[in-house]
Amino acid sequence: MSTTVTPPPRKVNRIGLDVLSYKGGKTTLCAGCGHNSISERVIECFYELGVEPWMVTKFSGIGCSSKSPAYFLNLAHGFNGVHGRMPSVATGAMLANRRILAIGVSGDGDTASIGIGQFMHLLRRNLPLIYIIENNGVYGLTKGQFSATADLGSKLKTGVINDQPPFDCCALALEWGATFVARSFSGDKKQLQAILKAAISHRGLSVIDVISPCTTFNDHEGSTKSYAYMKDHDEPVNEVDFVPHFEDISVEIPEGGVQDVRMHDGSLLRIKKLGRDFDPTDKLRSLTELHQAQQRGEVITGVLFVDTGKPDFHDMLHMVEEPLATLPESRVRPPKAVLDQLMEELR
Amino acid sequence: MSQTFTVAIGGAAGQGVATPGDIFAKIFARRGLHVNTYNAYQSIIRGGHTFLTIRTGVEKVANMGDRIDLLIPLNQDTMDRHLRLLGPGAAVVYNSDSIQPGTAADGVQLCPLPVSQLADVTRNKVAQNTVAIGASLSMLGVGFQPLEEALTEQFKKKGDAVVAENAGVARAGYQYATEHFRPFSRPLPMTENRYAVVGGNMALAMGGVAAGVKFYCAYPMSPSTGVLHWMAAHARKAGIMVRQVEDEIGVINMTIGAAHAGVRAMCATSGGGFALMSEGLGMSAMIETPVVVINCQRAGPSTGVPTKTEQGDLWQMLGAAFGDYPRLIAAPTGILDCFKMIPEMFNLADRFQCPGLVLCDLLLSEGRLSVDPKDLDFNAPIDRGELITSPDGANGDYKRYRITESGVSPRAIPGVPGCIHTAATDEHDEDGVLISDEFTNPIKRRAMMEKRMRKCSGIEAAVPPPRLEGPRPADVTLIGWGSTQGVIQEAVEILNEQGIPANYLPIRWLVPLKGDAILEILRDCRHTIIVENNYSGQFARYLRSETSYVPNGHIRKYDGEPFMPHHIVEAVKEQLAGTTNLSVPMHEIMV
Ligand SMILES: Cc1ncc(C[n+]2csc(CCOP(=O)(O)OP(=O)(O)O)c2C)c(N)n1
Ligand code: SF4
Ligand SMILES: [Mg+2]
Repeated sequence: MSTTVTPPPRKVNRIGLDVLSYKGGKTTLCAGCGHNSISERVIECFYELGVEPWMVTKFSGIGCSSKSPAYFLNLAHGFNGVHGRMPSVATGAMLANRRILAIGVSGDGDTASIGIGQFMHLLRRNLPLIYIIENNGVYGLTKGQFSATADLGSKLKTGVINDQPPFDCCALALEWGATFVARSFSGDKKQLQAILKAAISHRGLSVIDVISPCTTFNDHEGSTKSYAYMKDHDEPVNEVDFVPHFEDISVEIPEGGVQDVRMHDGSLLRIKKLGRDFDPTDKLRSLTELHQAQQRGEVITGVLFVDTGKPDFHDMLHMVEEPLATLPESRVRPPKAVLDQLMEELR
Repeated sequence: MSQTFTVAIGGAAGQGVATPGDIFAKIFARRGLHVNTYNAYQSIIRGGHTFLTIRTGVEKVANMGDRIDLLIPLNQDTMDRHLRLLGPGAAVVYNSDSIQPGTAADGVQLCPLPVSQLADVTRNKVAQNTVAIGASLSMLGVGFQPLEEALTEQFKKKGDAVVAENAGVARAGYQYATEHFRPFSRPLPMTENRYAVVGGNMALAMGGVAAGVKFYCAYPMSPSTGVLHWMAAHARKAGIMVRQVEDEIGVINMTIGAAHAGVRAMCATSGGGFALMSEGLGMSAMIETPVVVINCQRAGPSTGVPTKTEQGDLWQMLGAAFGDYPRLIAAPTGILDCFKMIPEMFNLADRFQCPGLVLCDLLLSEGRLSVDPKDLDFNAPIDRGELITSPDGANGDYKRYRITESGVSPRAIPGVPGCIHTAATDEHDEDGVLISDEFTNPIKRRAMMEKRMRKCSGIEAAVPPPRLEGPRPADVTLIGWGSTQGVIQEAVEILNEQGIPANYLPIRWLVPLKGDAILEILRDCRHTIIVENNYSGQFARYLRSETSYVPNGHIRKYDGEPFMPHHIVEAVKEQLAGTTNLSVPMHEIMV
């Protein structure tokens, strides 16, 4: 009788990689920090979708949130820019090499405070970038001061009350041109997964604002970005299911209240309405919902907007297919005919 | 200095000063003459006063000179301001329908043109300009044909009728002058050479093409905007991704993003925009991504004088971004050098993976110069340094910030299998992992700091020392940097002609300065004077801080206008006479 034990087969994804290949370094963030859960979701989604990690570039700014790319996708290239400037760094890099699959991670301070100008201009570009805002309403890394997404009346541990209204990054994104806009909560595993997968499949700018509590500085009573507050005030507007293009499962015939969106890569985003009649292809309607929810003190989550019809930045600029970054040296200068024309202009 | 001839055209912005300027420059260059133009203007789209000088001669002309031979005032204001500058032999050509001459010096020829009798002024709004060009060329002994050609090129887009109309108007002016005015004593010479007329900003942009730049972005700011305009106009043809970005913070970060991805990327701005780029430059230094940034200086501080020149940003460049890091700074010494410097700067920035800063100024950016087309070499060598663009370049255990003797670590672009890494603006270890993410490790910090700074010795060795120009020994040595080279050179020629042996030391590289070589040269100089376009003697202070060298005197100018040769000549004389050791020449042209 043989005694050899065959190890259980290694679980791999469609490109033959195991989940370890999608992990990052060990996190140095605080235990319970919402940002860590988001990193976990990123790992799962890239693994499950079978994205080649070395094709991915992770961009970030500065903050606890912006550190988190170090904690996922070790096999992907990383660029940790300076505070609030990730949008332009990513734009430059992606224009230089249009094959880069880009994911950007920012914080509410990085995006809505110091980086709001860069963020607003990014919105106009429809750059095919997944832009995640890990939103905790404070500057975690500098020890908990209010950021520009802190709600009016929200209270710091020290008792300081926020006296300025917040920027709603989803409302801004909706209004100024992002083509996929969603809000989620770091504690909602299923929703965040589906949203991230949809964003990975989307060709255009995806802005995902994830409420991600800062356990150390903004998770107390009186904070509107705490776990407890979100448990009570999270109001999903839809339930999303993501069916990747390579999964040949027959999709059930939609019943009433289900909206299917075909993503660029053929994947299917199935959006099930919850309660009220919310249509994520209707920008104005979504904006209205966001405003109303804010007045009610609720946080609406789910896919808030999706538009798969708009050309992305590369197409808008009529970029050539071949990445500029990998042109051989013999072709980085214009051909002789063009140089001759330049000289002719000077005559 | 050999004979030159200078035409000056003045009027309000919007009156069309530029077009006659272009036409003169073109005709002179096609006659085989050298050309240098300088435009004094204000930050105003309509009105104000614009004064363009076009100087030409058989030999190289590298500055606006001291003398105006032909004044073309397009309005009364120009006549009133500048007639007094004219000396014997000069002439003023003007529309006598609308402009009254004042009292001119003896020997100045007044040339009134009855423009409304020579052209249909109701139809042709710029008739007075065209009539004046025709008249001027007649007086210069230039045939009509070159003008007809130039006008044809100028107006061909508007159709044959417009070309014919303008040629007719020009001919009327030409004939009127032939019949009524005295020609200049020496007709304009002609040579077999053929020159191209290049602006400084255009030269910087074309230098980018020669360097293989694939990404350029900018936010408009005078006097750097011309680079953006040239780039935007030629983007498709030259295969360069050109973007106008929301501000200079975006510009520098986007440029670095593109450079990081692997292309040669460049941007240009002026002092205020450069200030905004400071943090980004530190990023380029920290992640060791080479970029080339051009600062076209204008008079500061703050918004300053947008349309006036100055060399006031040296210390801003020296101190840009916090912390110590290797950088390259060079100031082009002329318009052709604007072209040549870009590929050179890229090669060094790529080799040493650090920011390369080009310190230009309005004088060069907006000036124009004739160049021999052969000097515009678009095949300059390209040296990308230790750049890994494919997996073959990787050899096993890749560490982006590997500690090396030279301080240079092979740089892989994103996406090269086997060379995946993170570029971090936080201090990091050899792998790119933030050191503050474990505990801030003083040993690693020191090692990385020393690794980066070791690149400085490579940089030092890669740059040639400056050279003393002109006769030696000499009674006086002038030291200048960047754009003043042309005017200093001419001042030195004049001094020598006047019996004062003089030579000069033009400085092109500021970092590395090559202080030892400079000291070696200056040790034997009898009397040294630093000439610069700023108030505090920024270069003098820098030279002193690097070498302890103190010159005998200073000539400075900070009124927004460039030096003219006589400013320097007279200042040298007063300093050699012992009257002063700081001269601040007055600019006599009221612009
Ligand atoms: C120019 C600049 N100013 C200030 C800082 C200090 N700083 C670092 S992170 C940060 C705020 C980060 O907040 P957020 O983006 O919300 O990230 P979090 O830590 O909350 O995840 C600040 C102010 C900096 N790094 N750079
Ligand atoms: S300080 Fe807050 S945001 Fe930063 S790691 Fe800790 S919990 Fe997360
Ligand atoms: Mg935050």
